Amino acid sequence: MENKLKILVIEDEKNILNFIGKNLELSGYRVLKALTGEEGLLVALSQNPDVILLDLGLPDMDGYEIIRKVREVKNTPILVVSARTTEQEKVKILDAGADDYITKPFGTSELQARIRTCLRHLNQSNGEASLPMAQYRSKDLVIDYERRRITVRGEEVHLTPVEYKMVCYLAKNAGKVVTYSSMLVEIWGPFVDDDNKILRVNMANIRRKIEQDPAQPQYIFTELGVGYRMLEEGL
Amino acid sequence: MKKQLKNIMITVFFLALATAVAFALFYMVSNDNSANIAIVYVLALILISRYTTGFWYGLGSAIVCVACVNFLFTYPYFKLNFTLTGYPVTFLAMLAITLVTSATTSAMTKQAEQLKQREKELAEAEKERMRANLLRAVSHDIRTPLTSIIVASDSYTEHPDQYSRDEVETLFSQISEDAQWLLHMVENLLSVTRIDAGGGDSATKKSGVVKSMEPVEEIVEEAVSRVKKRIVGAGIAVKLPEEFVMIPVDPLLIEQVLINLLENAIVHGKGEKPIELTVVYEENMVAFHVRDYGIGIEESRIQGIMNGTYAAGEYSTEQRKGMGVGLSICKTIVDAHGGTFEALGHREGSEFIVAIPRREQEA
Repeated sequence: MENKLKILVIEDEKNILNFIGKNLELSGYRVLKALTGEEGLLVALSQNPDVILLDLGLPDMDGYEIIRKVREVKNTPILVVSARTTEQEKVKILDAGADDYITKPFGTSELQARIRTCLRHLNQSNGEASLPMAQYRSKDLVIDYERRRITVRGEEVHLTPVEYKMVCYLAKNAGKVVTYSSMLVEIWGPFVDDDNKILRVNMANIRRKIEQDPAQPQYIFTELGVGYRMLEEGL
Repeated sequence: MKKQLKNIMITVFFLALATAVAFALFYMVSNDNSANIAIVYVLALILISRYTTGFWYGLGSAIVCVACVNFLFTYPYFKLNFTLTGYPVTFLAMLAITLVTSATTSAMTKQAEQLKQREKELAEAEKERMRANLLRAVSHDIRTPLTSIIVASDSYTEHPDQYSRDEVETLFSQISEDAQWLLHMVENLLSVTRIDAGGGDSATKKSGVVKSMEPVEEIVEEAVSRVKKRIVGAGIAVKLPEEFVMIPVDPLLIEQVLINLLENAIVHGKGEKPIELTVVYEENMVAFHVRDYGIGIEESRIQGIMNGTYAAGEYSTEQRKGMGVGLSICKTIVDAHGGTFEALGHREGSEFIVAIPRREQEA
């Protein structure tokens, strides 16, 4: 019983809170519920949940404030649930330190998948983190970090250094959305121009090299106006 | 204040010009025919009356003109002589010309203003009418699935033991299907609000959308994957040129257009043959062709979509192929990007073509 993973759900809509709670309990998680931001923050800091599911539209507190306060002391994965859908807001959520977002309305399977992704990253950053991952493997794509080699369907793919860096950065955050700005800073440094054309062009080249059909990619997906998401490892 | 200054400048400019021309005529052509010179001044008067507002500038100019002709170009030169024969006639004629021209031009400007005002009112009314039509269509289309959801859930909660397991499952899948449809509708409506949010100031008024350079392939990719997620097993054949092209668009709006067209095509195509999404890079445009092999589209429907008269009650028609609102929204979005939207029938079904400019158009 005790080793069940704990999920904190902060949500002011009682119906949705109950439904999500029920669903997660059925899937074998222990669910902590909070109806207000203040309560949620208290539970987040005292009970050590493994994942925090945070609704942004809380009446008493700004969601960003909660993300910031949690991030000050903990790196607990935060999955933001939001009915606000503009890309700017998504970018803001991610840049504030949230791990991922999911837009209302969502299906239960999508929610479960996102939670699993968050947990996997948590495992990677704890314990296993001391040993850097030797490779990324998903479907027919393998990245061998030590030998700096990428193979698709057994064949080696030749990427430029920038392209290789981009793929690695995405692979290390596989399953999560990586914003344009964070990629630009990661690859080109903090003083890069915020025109992201260079990023988009490089991405187009990567796709032509690793995807069979760039219009229907299998490995790197677009989140329009926000960034890119790489296929989760091991799928 | 600014207007006054402008009027004064126009007046001075034309008077100076007329005087210059009159001098040129006087010294180069002949100096005994003051009729030519008077005519030059009359022309200046007409122009002044035409381009200034109000009577006063013309009136003042008329006096100056008479004085100029008298002082500069009639014997004795550089002296005012009011005893010349016909002098009052010249003065009165010039005054009359000024007054008539001023009166005519001010009447003309007034009329033009009225016309503009009326056009604006008409456009406003047209917009209002379209909005009302859309609202009517939407509220009907929303009410129908909502009714079905309410009835399904109520009838189960009232008599839970009367339903077999299978029936319950059907009930729930029906509810979920209706909810999906509602979601589709809401997303479409949200996209329309994005257009309004972008407009407002005169610089971006022409487009009404916030544009950024986006790769065509990414828009296509996300649209296709979203449709495939929503309609499981949808067959879509995508043809995209190898070349990398970016276009100035609101990516989410263009994605919405493609989603609507693809979903529409799938519903019409009935899955017998995969639908085709073909992207063509033309010289000035990027064209998206969505082709289905289904029941085709009636000429009258095309007309309705193109001129924005939304057919209400789409939802209730058989198999809820109601996409009229969706297509109308496509049209609105494409218009806001300065693109073109065409619907064609072909032998085996129908084809929708959306073309978006490759470069930002100058306003």
